[in-house]
Amino acid sequence: MCSASLCAQLDSIQYLNEIVLVDSKLEEFSEGYTLTKISDTLVSRNPVSLSDLLNFNSNIYIKENGYGMVASPSFRGTNASQTAVIWNGIPINSNLTGQTDFNTIATASLTNVIIRSGGGSSQYGSGAVGGSIHLNNTIEFTENSSNELTIYYGSYASVGAIFKRKIATEKKYLDMAFDFISSDNDYEYVGLNRKNNNGEFNKLNISMNGGLRLNNSSLIWNSNYFSGSRNLSGTITTLNKDSYKDETFRNLLTWNSTSKKWNNTIKGAHIFEKYQYYPNRENVLYFEGKSNTIIGDYQLEYNINEKIMVSSILNLTHIKAEGSNIGDESRNTLAAIFIWKQLVSDQLSYNINIRQEFFNDFENPLIVSVDTKYKINQWYSLKANASKNYRVPTFNDLYWNSGGNVDLKPEISYQGAISNEFYFKNFFLNVNLFYINSKNLISWQPDMNGIFSPINVSETENIGLEMGVNFSKSIQENMFNIGIDYAYTSAKNIETGKQLIYVPYHKVTGTIDYRIQRFNAYYQQLFNGKVFTTTDNSTYLDSYLVSNIGLDYFFLYKTMPIKIGFKINNILNKYYENVAYRPMPNRNILTTITFKF
Amino acid sequence: MKTLKNLIYLLIVFLFITSCSSDDETVPAPLGDYVNGILITNEGPFQNGTGTITYVSNDYTTIEQQVFNQVNSADLGSIVQSIGFNDEVAYLVVNNSNKIEVVNRYSFESIVSITDGLMNPRYFISSGTNGYVTNWGDPFDNTDDYIAVIDLLSQTITSTIPVAFGPEKLILINNVLYVAHQGGYGQNNILSVIDTSNNTLASTIEVGDVPNSMVVLDNNLWVLCGGNPDYTGNETNGKLLKIDVSDNSVIQVFDFLTSDHPKHLSADGSHLIYNLNGVVYSKDEADISLPQESIISGTFYAMTTKDGKLYATDAGDFASNGTLKIVDLSTNSEIQSIQTGIIPGGVYFND
Repeated sequence: MCSASLCAQLDSIQYLNEIVLVDSKLEEFSEGYTLTKISDTLVSRNPVSLSDLLNFNSNIYIKENGYGMVASPSFRGTNASQTAVIWNGIPINSNLTGQTDFNTIATASLTNVIIRSGGGSSQYGSGAVGGSIHLNNTIEFTENSSNELTIYYGSYASVGAIFKRKIATEKKYLDMAFDFISSDNDYEYVGLNRKNNNGEFNKLNISMNGGLRLNNSSLIWNSNYFSGSRNLSGTITTLNKDSYKDETFRNLLTWNSTSKKWNNTIKGAHIFEKYQYYPNRENVLYFEGKSNTIIGDYQLEYNINEKIMVSSILNLTHIKAEGSNIGDESRNTLAAIFIWKQLVSDQLSYNINIRQEFFNDFENPLIVSVDTKYKINQWYSLKANASKNYRVPTFNDLYWNSGGNVDLKPEISYQGAISNEFYFKNFFLNVNLFYINSKNLISWQPDMNGIFSPINVSETENIGLEMGVNFSKSIQENMFNIGIDYAYTSAKNIETGKQLIYVPYHKVTGTIDYRIQRFNAYYQQLFNGKVFTTTDNSTYLDSYLVSNIGLDYFFLYKTMPIKIGFKINNILNKYYENVAYRPMPNRNILTTITFKF
Repeated sequence: MKTLKNLIYLLIVFLFITSCSSDDETVPAPLGDYVNGILITNEGPFQNGTGTITYVSNDYTTIEQQVFNQVNSADLGSIVQSIGFNDEVAYLVVNNSNKIEVVNRYSFESIVSITDGLMNPRYFISSGTNGYVTNWGDPFDNTDDYIAVIDLLSQTITSTIPVAFGPEKLILINNVLYVAHQGGYGQNNILSVIDTSNNTLASTIEVGDVPNSMVVLDNNLWVLCGGNPDYTGNETNGKLLKIDVSDNSVIQVFDFLTSDHPKHLSADGSHLIYNLNGVVYSKDEADISLPQESIISGTFYAMTTKDGKLYATDAGDFASNGTLKIVDLSTNSEIQSIQTGIIPGGVYFND
């Protein structure tokens, strides 16, 4: 009923043929990369947003402008536009900002979330520099009909509901998920005798996924609609009146045909995104931006022999964006990708990826990556990868009025990583070392007339160490699981030698799970080291340690499985900020009840 | 079970990292007397933080950061825009926090905080028992801009004077208040003239686009207009105007090139000093044309003059501490470069 594993490595997971991962290349061509899967159990413990989920379960630093507000990641010390978010294989970072706001991603409808550490531009395009976050829906062609309803209620008048329905046969599959949350979000600033003002939010997400299995082919459809409305929290020194509305709609159709030697995949996708910013929510005036992206993608895989597979992908992307401050602009990009995969022996395999883009108005860099996995023995594997990656200027960077700069070049990064994985009976250890050198980083700076304009200016060097341990043990009816992740990140501006702002040197996350009979108790902990808030490192935020505890209880009502969950966030009632002057919530509770029928 | 032991050890090591990384670098400087020195307003980070005040003694030997914050153990607020004075009292105008912190100008001890009646306050000036504060109101509403009138005895706002959009800097000449309408987030092109005897709008004077700074020299009011910037799609040239305050007529206009957008007008003796295209120019008030030769180079975020010296700030990348440069105008050479807070936007003299 409930898996207690913290972060299972993909290598150890057996996929049944009946289960189709829409983004098949994620596992097929990434052996030399660290992939970390966040299980649905963890997803269900952090139902509100992707920010919560990653904050407590990954090495990624999340900058949140107050709880539930605009949130952006720093992955391996890179900037917010250098983490790609990939939905079923399709990149969904905003064309306007280059980022994904992690508080606009609903997680309940996803089968799993996979974190791919390291550069992935050769496969996933712009922005996959520090790493990529993969939001996956799997299609399961096994006889099934199930319904699941979760209702949750928590502090600050937070109410939410998740309804999931799944119907499947061996030939057909359909699921839908409906996810809604609303919160006053007026938490207390610990020790300041004040409440969070103007922080109300509500979010609605509807997702549908369907599949048809024919003889040697399959047709899969993924669809997701999100609508969010937020007031934007003030800071310690300001009271805000502004508000923000987001809307995204994504559709993806995938047709796949397989023979012994050949595998053809054709994809068509449409992505719509829109935001509206109201400087004063009491007034009708707003600023907006929206974009439509159409993607056509053809992938041909050919098995030369049992050991060698080649794959080529042609991807055409058309983007049309318009907005109050950018006018009406469009971009076409053709990308050609070639992948070579060889299994040298049972122990050793490697992949080579080459990507070239065409048509972009700016320089089109040639992107290359190489990765390898060497399974030295049963308990030890060595992985290594090296890649060149890029991030294209966003529509805001290019066309924003005032300041947009059409002469920008893409940001370029070179990186390498070595990863050691140790497997023992109940124990898994992972040690990664990485190096990233980024050039031509885009930074908005004032010109002679004081108008801010983006330029390719800075160069950074990131060096880091990541360690993850996971330990499980069962003693009779008692099941323990402990997982700890630690990351050390040095990210320097080469010119000044200073640590980049909002990149902690240290981040530690940990979870302890204990199961006995129908009870599952857990403890989550997050430690963020101090982060600098100014580029000269003259001011910083203190380090903090936040802990959550929770208890889940499972029982049957007649034949209906029911789970009741109770969780206390920030149990020690710590004051903490991950963006300066924007305090995060005090101690608060979340109760959930889930019915399966 | 040996692995478990190792694991617990690891856990302890990680926890230990937690406990040894708290830093305490900020040692409060001894609280001084802030007389005979320079005060710099630092706006602070735009989105999330507090502005500060930097104090520099006239002999440059004492420099103290975060004066208000240290003396009062409180944040000054978001976007410290300007300071105005009345006798021993200083009015610290905090734009984004919609307030004015009233302090003793020499001790910086807080007297009161004015919050009611302010909406995007910009600049303060006093006249008799009244203080006048320009307010943008809602920056996206061009019809709600006003001057708040503060009764300096009760430190409360007693009335407001509605004015045209984008009021910014203020100057007082013979009990007449001149308000430059720089135009907020947009552009405007007038001065409001306010009669302080009855606090009413007496007239308006059309000047160039974006009047950003004013100075009085020999009983004439000089107004520097930046012109509309390029991105407006209606770029206009900068202008320097001379206004006769006896009848408020424009008696002289100097036109810059269309792409030239000067700012930061101040006076040194008979010279008018301003910043344009990465250099600083000095024009004798009697010269019949604009100068071609610059005196020093630099693009400054704030600039003013006093007693033959130029005080100019550099906000750097706007995300780190800035600097104050002091230049001797007799030799045009830099005397001092002093670190300020984040985004130093105003220089004031506390003698």
